[in-house]
Amino acid sequence: MREEEILSLFPEKSRDRWREVAGQAKRLQEIRLRADMPLTIIVDDREIFVDERGELVDRPEEAARPTSEELENVLGHLCRYSAYAFAEEIRQGFLTVQGGHRVGLAGQVILDGDGRIKNMKYIRYLNIRIAHQIRGAADALMPYLFEEGLVMSTLLISPPGCGKTTMLRDLIRQVSNGTKYGPGVNVSVVDERSEIAGSYLGVSQNDVGIRTDVLDGCPKVEGMMRLIRSMAPRVLAVDEVGSLADAQALQMAGGCGCRLLATIHGGSMEEVKQKDYMRYIIEQRMFERYVMLDRRQGASRIVEIYDGEGKPCTRQ
Amino acid sequence: MYKAVGFLCIVIGCAGWGHSLAAREKERVRHLGALSRILFRMQSDISYGKHTMPEICLMLAELNIECYSECFRRIYERTVGANGMDFPKVWEEELQKCMEPYPLREDEKRTVTELAKSLHFRDEGGQAGRIGQAGRFLEDRCRKAEETCENKSKMIHSVSILTGLLLAILLL
Repeated sequence: MREEEILSLFPEKSRDRWREVAGQAKRLQEIRLRADMPLTIIVDDREIFVDERGELVDRPEEAARPTSEELENVLGHLCRYSAYAFAEEIRQGFLTVQGGHRVGLAGQVILDGDGRIKNMKYIRYLNIRIAHQIRGAADALMPYLFEEGLVMSTLLISPPGCGKTTMLRDLIRQVSNGTKYGPGVNVSVVDERSEIAGSYLGVSQNDVGIRTDVLDGCPKVEGMMRLIRSMAPRVLAVDEVGSLADAQALQMAGGCGCRLLATIHGGSMEEVKQKDYMRYIIEQRMFERYVMLDRRQGASRIVEIYDGEGKPCTRQ
Repeated sequence: MYKAVGFLCIVIGCAGWGHSLAAREKERVRHLGALSRILFRMQSDISYGKHTMPEICLMLAELNIECYSECFRRIYERTVGANGMDFPKVWEEELQKCMEPYPLREDEKRTVTELAKSLHFRDEGGQAGRIGQAGRFLEDRCRKAEETCENKSKMIHSVSILTGLLLAILLL
């Protein structure tokens, strides 16, 4: 099933080349396509190249070099031949496809009169980041996150590609289903980039728990208040907090009695404190737990858990 | 006696032929109406719902519009997921196959089958506009066909009966 999911990312006529790559599905992290450049995949943090026949090779000179036309075909297929439906995502430089995989895009941007990015053309660089649902990914975290049977507001912090979203997805699933640390509660997810639930035709493709409601494709700021008003969640989850407006919306949600689960990009606590919205988050004490993650030998790893005061946390 | 039976057979045969011609014209109107409704529905699904083309095909399949439901279901199944075939190619193949027996004119069929080839717009306004243009073309044809259908069918019936009478007189 997993292999088929990888194969389905590519048009039917080019799938033969991808069969061996799809065979690496469980360990596959990224597929990088660049026009006229060696075809590269990342498996267990290791760079491997793919030749014309789809075989994996170590040397870039032996690798296949996809043409601009091939990239257009892959992009057309990923957009389900409906680029208009992904216009906003393309403008932002990524799109999320069935299964929650994120495709990063680069090419030439088109600016509007005010100098803002309106759209993108000549897309010649694709980075397909394979989403992995790992049930139990948050197991090690669970003992530190519960207080009187309810999850504490938690912020997951890591550099890109270290498993924040995977961890958040499993955390949502466990909080929603219930664990030995607490009963299941209603969880609402604002899935702005469709990465958490990986919704397709409105139905979640990933297991996010039996008491989870997903608002798919909605901007975080609008989505959080909408869900609080309409779905009465006990826990609210969002991915990639990235602005002061996001932080203010989180504070409002926290003020409504919701526990928060969120992620943010950052290499260390010191680094994230440099961001204005992160300083705001810390000052307002929105979170009771900060979890630092990184990646070692192809696997996500918890580096440290801090409490709301920023002190390393001991087991509750 | 035989002559009378032969006379009747020829007249009835010609009248039947005329009736089938008139029925084909009515069927054409029905298909033009159905196709223009399908295209306007697609236009609306793009403008308001921002649905992708395969998703729209699935929704159309569930609407049971005339005899096109199965065709749209096949397009959806062939273009998404494990199949993942080229959408414009599948659209053309399936609609060509589906519309083959229908009494539509060649340019009317082409308007629908070749539509997917011209759908590469990055904004929903352009895409919906292109589909709406095709819908209006078919709607216009449908209206014109409807206007002339009544008179045309009366004329076909009369001519076919007269032809039958003439043939019978000449032969018998």
